Amino acid sequence: MNSTFLDRLLHNWLTLRKPVSRLQAVGLGVACILLCLTGWWLLTLGEYESRIVGPLTLPSPAETFGKFSELWNDFALTRNVLVTLRRVSIGFALALVVGIPIGVTAGCFPRVHAFLSPLIMIGRNVPLAAVLGLMIFIFGSGEKNKVMFIFVASVAFVISDAARAIMDVSARYIDTAYTLGASRWQTISKVLVPLAAPTIFSACRQMFGLAFGYIMLAESIKIADEVGGLGYQIQIFQRRGFREHIYLIILVIPFVALVIDQVLAGIQRQLFPHVYGGDGVLRTLVRVILIPWENLKSLLFHKHLASLPPAATDEGPK
Amino acid sequence: MSQPPAAANANETTGSLASGAASAPRSSIATVITGGLTPPRSPVGLRPHVVEFRNVTKTYNSGKSDQFTAIRDVTFVVEDVADKGEFVCVLGPSGCGKSTILRLIAGLEPQHPATNGDVLILGQSVVGPGSDRGMVFQDYTSFDHRTVLENVTFGLECLHMPRKQRDELGREWIQKMGLNVTTDADKFPHELSGGMRQRVAIARTLILKPRIILMDEPFGALDPLTRLNMQDLLVKLWKEVQATVFFITHSIEEAVFLGDRVYLMSNSPGTILEELKIEPATSSANEMQRQPKFLEAVYYIRDKITKLESNQ
Repeated sequence: MNSTFLDRLLHNWLTLRKPVSRLQAVGLGVACILLCLTGWWLLTLGEYESRIVGPLTLPSPAETFGKFSELWNDFALTRNVLVTLRRVSIGFALALVVGIPIGVTAGCFPRVHAFLSPLIMIGRNVPLAAVLGLMIFIFGSGEKNKVMFIFVASVAFVISDAARAIMDVSARYIDTAYTLGASRWQTISKVLVPLAAPTIFSACRQMFGLAFGYIMLAESIKIADEVGGLGYQIQIFQRRGFREHIYLIILVIPFVALVIDQVLAGIQRQLFPHVYGGDGVLRTLVRVILIPWENLKSLLFHKHLASLPPAATDEGPK
Repeated sequence: MSQPPAAANANETTGSLASGAASAPRSSIATVITGGLTPPRSPVGLRPHVVEFRNVTKTYNSGKSDQFTAIRDVTFVVEDVADKGEFVCVLGPSGCGKSTILRLIAGLEPQHPATNGDVLILGQSVVGPGSDRGMVFQDYTSFDHRTVLENVTFGLECLHMPRKQRDELGREWIQKMGLNVTTDADKFPHELSGGMRQRVAIARTLILKPRIILMDEPFGALDPLTRLNMQDLLVKLWKEVQATVFFITHSIEEAVFLGDRVYLMSNSPGTILEELKIEPATSSANEMQRQPKFLEAVYYIRDKITKLESNQ
């Protein structure tokens, strides 16, 4: 009888790839957090001397969260988060502006891809610590080296992911576009890029998470008058021995990352309703913005259907 | 079962209706034109041939160990019939080079250009793809990021036709294809069934008024009933657009129902073995395809293919 209950439990809970309701998914996530907190609480229970893990290694939850107001007020948490975000956003945006057009070109034309592949290879395998040092040599201390660090660290990945996404679009779409009279440029802009866009967006969303990690590395190197940032704060707390603050920041970063990721996911859903469902508000917006541009082109380049070779019926007999 | 040489009956236009004999000497609606290749004829008057293949051969990886000849020495002519395009069906086993012929007409790489011989459209060599030769594929090739209306008007958009004008035309064609303008126009392809997707694919090709319509097993992935409906729809639309249709299929029923002319192809390297003339369909696919006369033609072609295959 015991085994049948277990069987049923296993069957219900561990069915292969069985979908989970949203409520249960959130509940399971909360359960995990509670379990970790309980573990943390048990490890750091009691007086300093009687704890399983000493206070120098791991402060108790109460001690840690007690420092939150200090972190928020005295150490200007929000300002530091925004400073970090600004750096990573500018650097990453630069990588997108440069990387996506190059990647799309490489994806469309295998010769361009072959030409660029050594650079992409180097870019993807470049040691980040070395890049950081170089950026400081080239751009000096201050904002520029951090922004450029993010740019260099991510641009090769943007290029190769964009190229891969374009190459993965089935050739039959190109054939179809051609037989419908699309030019090469129209095939790229109206077919290849839009079909690859959801994949490119997803890849970039993941890469932004990585870039957010890289920026901490760049910020943790202090050269001259620094102007804040989460990485810089961690550096300061480390030097002063503020363990509670470091743990708090470790907890804050995933939270910020989660918020950003959710915002990006929302944009993605509204931009690509054919993949994610929904109304596609942003897609509609993009199309409305493009209407004047399209009208202008219609005005300038409109070719009438009648200019196509006429059918046999339209000609005089013999 | 021996059959008399087919060429002997070449000039007969009407034959005995189903006589009950299991092996009718020839079909009542299918007529053999040649036992092999059509010799190229000179154009009648000023009208050039719609499609002409002159000894066309396509070989891949020529000179290498994996050299492969998809079609060999294919020669045929599709004449421009006044006031009416012809419906040509290409029938043959999988991998016999049917698609190669179609893609050579379309001008699509890597089949285009041919290794040897000439592919002429209205007397001109094919230089590349264009909307005068619209193509419908077996795979669903609807542009997933575009709504039904945006898919149908894609070609017009490429011509920079003003939005209002092309949307109007697009809705007209959606209606013609038996789709619902109000509910279907703004759907995305993934929300449609296979049959509906192919309707969209046909609409966006026909809206451009192509001179030649190339169809590569467009109904191959559809269920039998949908397939019959699509065949009826195609016959109806074809009468309206009056273009020359090249239709590839491995369904003999489909070829006999749709085609004015059927090319039988052999296995690789593909070559046209026989050309048959078929009487036009007189009723709906479902009715037509159960008539004894029709079935007789189907069996006739099936025997023919079996015989041709065993002779190789």
